[in-house]
Amino acid sequence: MATLAESFLADLEDLDEDEPEQESESEEEAAEADDGMDDIETLNFDDLKACAKLTSEPRYNDVLARVRAAVASAAEDGAAAERKQEGPLEEDPTYKLLVECNRLAVDIDNEIAIVHNFVRDKYRPKFPELESLVHHPLDYARVVQRVGNEMDLTLVPLDDMLPAATVMVVTVTATTTSGKPLDEEALGRVMQGCDMAVQLDEDKRTILHFVESKMNKVAPNLSAVVGTEIAAKLMGVAGGLLALSRMPACNVQVLGAKRRTLAGFSSTTAQPHQGFIFSCPIMATTPPALKNKAVRLIAAKSTLLARKDAYGEDPSGAYGAAMHTEVVRKIEKWQEPPPAKQIKPLPVPDAEIKKRRGGRRLRKLKERYGLTDVRKAANRMMFNQAEEEFVDGEDTIGLGVLGKEGNGRLRVVASQQKQKLSAKAQKKFKSRMYGSSGATSGLSSSLAFTPVQGIELENPQARFGEMDAKDGTQSYFSQFGGFRSIKK
Amino acid sequence: MSYLLPHLRSGYAVDQSILSEEDRVVIIRFGHDWEPNCMQMDEVLAGVADQIKNFACIYLVDISEVPDFNTMYELYDPCTIMFFFRNKHIMIDLGTGNNNKINWPMTDKQEFIDIVEVIYRGARKGRGLVVSPKDYSTKYRY
Repeated sequence: MATLAESFLADLEDLDEDEPEQESESEEEAAEADDGMDDIETLNFDDLKACAKLTSEPRYNDVLARVRAAVASAAEDGAAAERKQEGPLEEDPTYKLLVECNRLAVDIDNEIAIVHNFVRDKYRPKFPELESLVHHPLDYARVVQRVGNEMDLTLVPLDDMLPAATVMVVTVTATTTSGKPLDEEALGRVMQGCDMAVQLDEDKRTILHFVESKMNKVAPNLSAVVGTEIAAKLMGVAGGLLALSRMPACNVQVLGAKRRTLAGFSSTTAQPHQGFIFSCPIMATTPPALKNKAVRLIAAKSTLLARKDAYGEDPSGAYGAAMHTEVVRKIEKWQEPPPAKQIKPLPVPDAEIKKRRGGRRLRKLKERYGLTDVRKAANRMMFNQAEEEFVDGEDTIGLGVLGKEGNGRLRVVASQQKQKLSAKAQKKFKSRMYGSSGATSGLSSSLAFTPVQGIELENPQARFGEMDAKDGTQSYFSQFGGFRSIKK
Repeated sequence: MSYLLPHLRSGYAVDQSILSEEDRVVIIRFGHDWEPNCMQMDEVLAGVADQIKNFACIYLVDISEVPDFNTMYELYDPCTIMFFFRNKHIMIDLGTGNNNKINWPMTDKQEFIDIVEVIYRGARKGRGLVVSPKDYSTKYRY
């Protein structure tokens, strides 16, 4: 691609030559991208059979044949009989068929997606806007079948396939569409694709119907609580009823949760950790605030019931039905309003004895309001000596022994705390109190007047610095942390 | 409101109500049911009765129906409230000058409950006079 203009010219000239190159490129892409990813962007195959291979697989036809046979025989037998084999579940032929049906259903889903892509690509020249108006693969296929090569959509009745609003939008868009009618070959391919999509859907319905009908016999208790479809899905994802029974309830809760969103798409709408159980009928009727609680409850009960079913206990499903009513009852109870507020009369005054509490904390609190030494000294008086007084507004306050000689103290210092500090608090105040004997008032300073230097300032951290370096347990946020240095 | 509270229809009934209560303060409102001041007071009393029923009981007396106490207790005001405990009249220092009764309609329920509680506490200790938590000497000014 030398310049853009040159590349355009090349496109114009080599229209035919480009196609096989494109195909081989997309083949490689498809081969890389086809490793079990559910969402495949583009497949540019010309032949339907080349991309949609499921219907040609032998196991597909085999399973379908068996399903049809089983449905026919069940119709002959009449009323639903209970599970014939009481032994290990794994060997019940019906159970094995169910497991295969589950796998096949998932495969059919993937196949429908592939076919949808195919049909979409082939129909794009005719009606490109249709793919953005009708999203659902089956709806798209049916619409395409109905419309065919018709350019005037007013002649085509679509009311039975789409909601009225969509029909209107589609019809209107068709009048202004930029598409052209397809040629016979392309039309043939498109119709092939649509037919296959519809056929796949039919088959899937048959399988699911069969699974649901048999689910009640294979796992009656589990399907009583979460419903047959979800029970079948759970079984399918877990890989069998026994495997499901071995899972803890927390895992069962998130079975079926979508793990990845496509790259570039918003992931805020993707509900995290919401599996199949989140979409069961009981959950549909719970209010959103209780959904988390309810899903945990249902998951727990489902696990229990799966274990019961896996070992063949209670084939009638009575226990499952009982669990179902219990779960519904519990959810109802959660939604009950709280009991009405009772207005109580006031208690008789002084009827209850006050519980006096003691302990170090209370004593420490009381120290704040207790009698201090200053007050004690002010309350005492020397014999035969008038006390000093000072006038405070109207009141005269006496100072007692305070300030008088002979009481043995130059000045009264604030008393130490009688309660010991905890180890952490002690460490905090240790360096601050250093230099004072621990009994200083707030008016004393830690400056020392020395004859040599005059005022000597000592860094309290220097004293405790070495301790900090050795004490590797100093927290990053400690007051005395400072900067760390490896070498001194 | 006054229909929610029990009335005492005779002097004997009044005496019996004061004598019979052993554990609770007896609150008697003297006045008329149709009097606006009494109506106000009855409203407060009815609202409070349920809350203080553990330590007080309330009775209403119509002073035209039972005129026996009018001179004895000097019931000349439209609405009067008096407190009794164990057959003893309890006085309250409200700051108004008259310690024997409350002779105006109180509008605040919590104030009334406080007064009754103070009376209960004091009376249980044997005091004949208790001090009201709020001073009503200026009640006409604000």
